[in-house]
Amino acid sequence: MNKSIKGIVFLAMMATAGCSSQTAVTSPEKQESNVTPPATNVPAASASPVTSAPSPSGYGFDRWQTGPLGDAFFDFDSSALGADAQAQLKQNAGWLDNNSLTKVLIEGHCDSRGTAEYNLALGERRATTAKEYLKKLGVAPSRLEAVSFGEEKPFDTNTGEDAWAKNRRAHFVIKK
Amino acid sequence: MPLSRQVFSVVFMFLIALPLHLLAAEPGGEYIAIRKEGSGKIALAVSKLDSRTTEESKLAEHLDTIIHDGLDYIGAFSMISPPLNVKNKGEGEHLLINYGALDSVGAAVYVCGAVTTTSGTMTLAMEVYDTSGAKLLFRKTYNGQPQQFRATGYAFCSDLVEFLTGKKSVFGSKIVFVSNKTGFKEIYECDFDGHGVEQLTNSRTISLTPSLSPDGRYLAYTDFSSGRPALYIRDLSDGKTSAAEKSGVSIDPGWKNSREVATTLSFEGDQAIYLITTGGLVSRRLTNSNAIDVSPSFSPDGNKMAFVSTRNGSPQIFIQDLPSGQASRLTFSGRYNTQPSWSPLGDKIAYTTMDNGGQINIFVIGADGSGLIQLTANSAENESPSWSPDGSMIVFTSSRKGVKKLYIMNATGENQRPLLPMDGEQMQPCWSLFRQ
Repeated sequence: MNKSIKGIVFLAMMATAGCSSQTAVTSPEKQESNVTPPATNVPAASASPVTSAPSPSGYGFDRWQTGPLGDAFFDFDSSALGADAQAQLKQNAGWLDNNSLTKVLIEGHCDSRGTAEYNLALGERRATTAKEYLKKLGVAPSRLEAVSFGEEKPFDTNTGEDAWAKNRRAHFVIKK
Repeated sequence: MPLSRQVFSVVFMFLIALPLHLLAAEPGGEYIAIRKEGSGKIALAVSKLDSRTTEESKLAEHLDTIIHDGLDYIGAFSMISPPLNVKNKGEGEHLLINYGALDSVGAAVYVCGAVTTTSGTMTLAMEVYDTSGAKLLFRKTYNGQPQQFRATGYAFCSDLVEFLTGKKSVFGSKIVFVSNKTGFKEIYECDFDGHGVEQLTNSRTISLTPSLSPDGRYLAYTDFSSGRPALYIRDLSDGKTSAAEKSGVSIDPGWKNSREVATTLSFEGDQAIYLITTGGLVSRRLTNSNAIDVSPSFSPDGNKMAFVSTRNGSPQIFIQDLPSGQASRLTFSGRYNTQPSWSPLGDKIAYTTMDNGGQINIFVIGADGSGLIQLTANSAENESPSWSPDGSMIVFTSSRKGVKKLYIMNATGENQRPLLPMDGEQMQPCWSLFRQ
């Protein structure tokens, strides 16, 4: 819930700054959120969208992901980019192409299984793999910074594959 | 300790008083009670300390508890209540020990002493007797401030254990670990028996994987203060902290000796293990693979390094010979083996295996790959093994009661018990090699 509100505020700020797309302001409506009233007031501010990027889509976007850059997800004990992860990164590269001044921090995360020290290394592999892929797609490396949180900052603290799957990710944070 | 010391193999059992006399009566030989493999513990009777004043009797009470519990904790002794009238005042300072009474309760070694305070200084005077040989083994006094009663009690215990077993003891050693008690993961230390907890970092971010240098002077740890996991080395003598120079991520330091620490750095793209000086300068790269190399732990002579690598696929323990640079795989059982910890005795490596169900357990394997044994089982996640300085015990993390806490066990896996009561989770313990 708190995350949803933050997401909406963030998107609203982006919209008022005039650097957002149609995509960004509509995405809150897709969330399982009952805090819709503030969001519905936002579109007026985005009368002049700068880009025509497609709506963010991918795993979790219909339920809990927020922001214009979606997470790339991984299998257990893997930093390999599957088809879904590659598709997400291509979409992210498109957004970065349209927002060429934006720099992003790529956070590598792991689920709570396995051991913490190894997971810190694995998380970094995930972040750097995502970074290298974006570089191949033409994003300037100076705009991308990779960091690992290992299993230290799980998105979902529950146990079970549903939670773990959300935590095995390369997560994108737009730098201010 | 002279190498020429005569070593007696003494089996301490209640019913064999006669052979004890024969074994321990060799004239001129010094006394070491060696426990035979599986022969049990040294039967020890400890009298309450003598005291004169109210202040002294309070100190004596504290010291009685520390000495009794400390000796009991290490698992080498069976603690026997001393018989009544065990000692009487003899001529001058000398005590008359009732060896017959000690023998009849099965006590092989007898300890007594007194605490006195004069102008703010505490003096602990201890005496240790061999029951079967009917003689004084050693007498020693310890001076300190009254508030140092714990360290003073440990100093005697340390001497007693070294005298009786011929081996260094854990008394005076420290354990550093991580706890989220404050809501942030910070680094703490405590005594070998869980007493005297102190918070060492206050980063209010995430501090991880503390490791003390062999001489106890430096604490290396990973900390997120800069926004990324970076290596910090703190000189505990003056509190000065240096950060490793390279950008990128730093993971899980392990000391090669008291001047160089190894850690995983990624500034060259892949996660490789590098040697870093205590000033934070990278001195050289140790591993060469494109895979993840992490969690270095060195043999006591510093010539070999155990570490985790994914060079063959899933994480496995490897050993690298440092002079030649040759690495060979150590673990072949299980597909997820991490957290190697090289025994201070040099012969064994403890590590963890995660099975397909997600359970993590601690194993010990010979440094040559032989003699694999499992130490924990059927108790959720058991992780982060670290050896006591004498190689007799292992401290580890377990979630067997739901929340991660620190536990202690014998190196054989026996006698698993909690180390300390503390709020929050505790994890990533590292037992120091040094003794204060």
